[in-house]
Amino acid sequence: MTRTAWSAPLALFIATQAAAQDTVVVTQWDQFAQSGITAAGPAMDELIATCKPALNGAEVLRTIAPSIGIRDSYRLAVSAGKTPDLAYTWPAASVLSGYARVGALAPLDDYYAQYGWDQVNAFYKGRNSYDGHVYALPMEQDLMGVYYNKALFAEKGLTVPTTYAEFQALVETLKADGIIPVAFGNRDRWPATNSFSLILGLTAGRALEEKVFFGDEPWTNPAFVQAAQTFQDWAKADYFPRGFNGVGYDEANALFLSGKAAMTITGTWVLQDMIRGAKFDMGVFMLPPVKEGVAPGTMWGEGSQWQLSASAAPEVRNAAAAYLDCLVSPESRKVWVQKGYTVPIGTTPEELTQWGANPVVQEFFTSGLATPDTNFYDLHTTLPESVTQVLYPELQRLVGGEVTADEFLQAIQTAWETAGANGERWIP
Amino acid sequence: MSSRPAYFFLLPALLLYGTFVVVPILQVTAYSFFSWDNGIVQEFVGFANYARLASDTVFWAALGHNAIWVLLTLAFPLLAGLLLAAMLAERSPRTIQVMSAIYFIPRTIPLVVAGIIWGWIYNPLFGLLNYGLDMVGLGTLAGAWLAEESSALASLNVVGAWTFFGFCVVIYLGAIQSIDPSLYEAADVDGAPWWRKFRDITVPLLNNSTLFLGLYAAIEAMRFFDLIWVTTQGGPGYATEVLTTHIYKTFFLVGDFGYAAVLSVVLLVIVLSLSAVAFRLLRAK
Repeated sequence: MTRTAWSAPLALFIATQAAAQDTVVVTQWDQFAQSGITAAGPAMDELIATCKPALNGAEVLRTIAPSIGIRDSYRLAVSAGKTPDLAYTWPAASVLSGYARVGALAPLDDYYAQYGWDQVNAFYKGRNSYDGHVYALPMEQDLMGVYYNKALFAEKGLTVPTTYAEFQALVETLKADGIIPVAFGNRDRWPATNSFSLILGLTAGRALEEKVFFGDEPWTNPAFVQAAQTFQDWAKADYFPRGFNGVGYDEANALFLSGKAAMTITGTWVLQDMIRGAKFDMGVFMLPPVKEGVAPGTMWGEGSQWQLSASAAPEVRNAAAAYLDCLVSPESRKVWVQKGYTVPIGTTPEELTQWGANPVVQEFFTSGLATPDTNFYDLHTTLPESVTQVLYPELQRLVGGEVTADEFLQAIQTAWETAGANGERWIP
Repeated sequence: MSSRPAYFFLLPALLLYGTFVVVPILQVTAYSFFSWDNGIVQEFVGFANYARLASDTVFWAALGHNAIWVLLTLAFPLLAGLLLAAMLAERSPRTIQVMSAIYFIPRTIPLVVAGIIWGWIYNPLFGLLNYGLDMVGLGTLAGAWLAEESSALASLNVVGAWTFFGFCVVIYLGAIQSIDPSLYEAADVDGAPWWRKFRDITVPLLNNSTLFLGLYAAIEAMRFFDLIWVTTQGGPGYATEVLTTHIYKTFFLVGDFGYAAVLSVVLLVIVLSLSAVAFRLLRAK
C-alpha cells in the first residue's frame, strides 16, 4: 500500500475529529414520541430542522424518553451529576424547585429578559421558580376535561351536562342503558390523581386550594372531605368499569375509543392518541362545578417544562436558550399545534382556529382557557414526590372503598406535614 | 507446601467479588447513615434513618406480605411438586421426560413476561379467568383479582407458584429416582399401598431436597420484585407491597437514598440470615 493511499483517509479522520471537538453539542432529553402520552414526535422532528439556524452551528444530540419514565430518569441523572444540557421533563413546582435547591439547574432569568418569553404568565412562572429565580421554560399547555362519544350521545338523545346534577343524571341514564359511563383505569396509580385533582378544584375552588397548598389550612377541611367523598361515591355508584384499580390507563382509553364507555376524564396530553384512535365523532366538555357556589374551571398546568443543566458550559446554555426561543416562537407554536396536537402556553383559541387545529383541540382549549382566573392546581405536579407517593396508594384505597374520605385526607395531611418539616414544599 | 499459590489463583475471583458485591454492599450501608436531598448527599445523621423504621407502616406491611409470600410458597409449590414428582416417577422414562419438560416451562419464562401474561388472565375487563368462569356458569365468582385488596396478594402468589412448582418437580424427581428401588420392592412384598410408600419411604428420604427447596424458596420470596412491579406496583393501596417495591419507590421515585439504603440493609440482613441457616443446615446433613 502506498503512503498516499492511507494518509488521505487518516487526514480526513483527524480533520473530522478536530471539527467535532470544536462543535458545540447540546444534549437533549425529551418525551416527544410518535405515540402515547405527549406524542408530538412529528412536530419535534420538524422543529429540530427548522430551529437549526438558531443554534448558530451547534448540534442537538437528542434522546427520546417515555413521558412517564423521564421523571425517574432525570432524578437519577441529577443524583449522578449527569443531567443533559437541555431536558423537557416534568413535574415543575415542588420537584423542579428541589432540583434548583440542590444546584442542578441553571437559572433562566437572563434568558427571559433577553428573549422576552412573555407568554409565560405569573402563574406558570411561579410554578417554575425557586427562591426568586426562574429555572424552566414551561411550554405545553395541559388541561383536564371530559372526552365524550358524540355519536353515542346523539344516538341515545343525551346532551352535554351544564350542571353537576345533570352530569349525575347523565351517568344514571348511561348505566340504565348498560353503557360504562366513565372509562377509568387506575392500575398505573397516577390516573386517579388527575381525576381527584379535577373533583377537588370543582368542589373546593382555587382559593381554598391555595390556602392548603401554600398556607396552613389542613387537608382535612370540609370541602376537601366532600371532594374525597364525591370521588369515592362515583366508584361506589359504578361510574367506572369493574375492577378499575386493575385496569391500565391505556386500557381505559381503549375502552372509550372502542365505544364501550361513553366518556373518559383525562387531559390534553393524550389528544394525539385520542384523535388518531377515535373512529366516531368525539367531543370534549368541561366537568361542571361539583359544589354549589364554586366557579367553573378546570385543572391546568404546564405538563412539562424545558430546563437547562447547571453543569452545561456557557456556550452550550446560550445555544440551547436560542434554540428554545425558536421552539416557542409563534411559527413553531403553529407546528406544535398542527403536527403534534400539542398546544404551547400562550396560544389563543383564535390562533387555533386560524391555524386549522383539529376541532377537538379547538373545543378542548376554547373551553379550558375560558376560565383562567378560576382554573386550579394539578396535585400530580404540585405536591412533593414524598407526598405523591402516599397519594397514589391512598387514592387507590379511597376509590376502592378501603378507607373513608377522612382517613384518606388524614394520611395525606401526615405526609404533607412531614414534607413541610423536610423543606420539600413548594411555595410560589 | 505453601498456600501462597492458592491465594494467587483465588485473587481474580476475589477481586471481582469485592468489586461487584462487597464494595456496593458497603456503599449502600454507608448511604444509610446520611440524609439525602434529590439524590444528593447532605449530612451524616447516624442511626436517624434506622429510627424511622419503627413508625413506617408501609415497611411493616411489606415485611408481613413477604412473610405471607414465603409461607404460601412453601405450602403450595413444594407440596404440588412433591406429589407430582412422586406420581411421575412411576411412569415410563418417556412420559417422565415429556412431563418434566412441560412442568418446567413456566420456570423458563421471565417473571416480567409471566406478569404480563397473568395480568391479562386476571384483567377485569377482558381477562381469561373471568371469561372461563362465565363459560362454565360460575360467573358469580368472577372478580377483579388484582384490583381488590382482599385477593391481590393471593392472586399474585398463584403466579409465583406457577413459575416455581415445575422447578420443585424436577428437583424432587431427581431425588426420588436416586432412592434405592429395593425399598419400594420390600414395601410391595409387605403389601404396602401407594400412600404408605409415599409417606414412609419417599417423604423421609427427600428431606434434603425439601430443605434445599424450602430455603431457596424463602430466599427468593424475600427478593422478588419484577412480578409485582409489572402487575400491581404494590397496589391496590399497599396490598401487594413487599420490601423490594418499597425500596424501589423510596429510592427511585422519592429520591430518599438514605432511607432506601436502610430498607436495603434490612433486606440484606434477612436474606443473609436465611442463607446462613440454609448453609448450616445443608452442611449438617
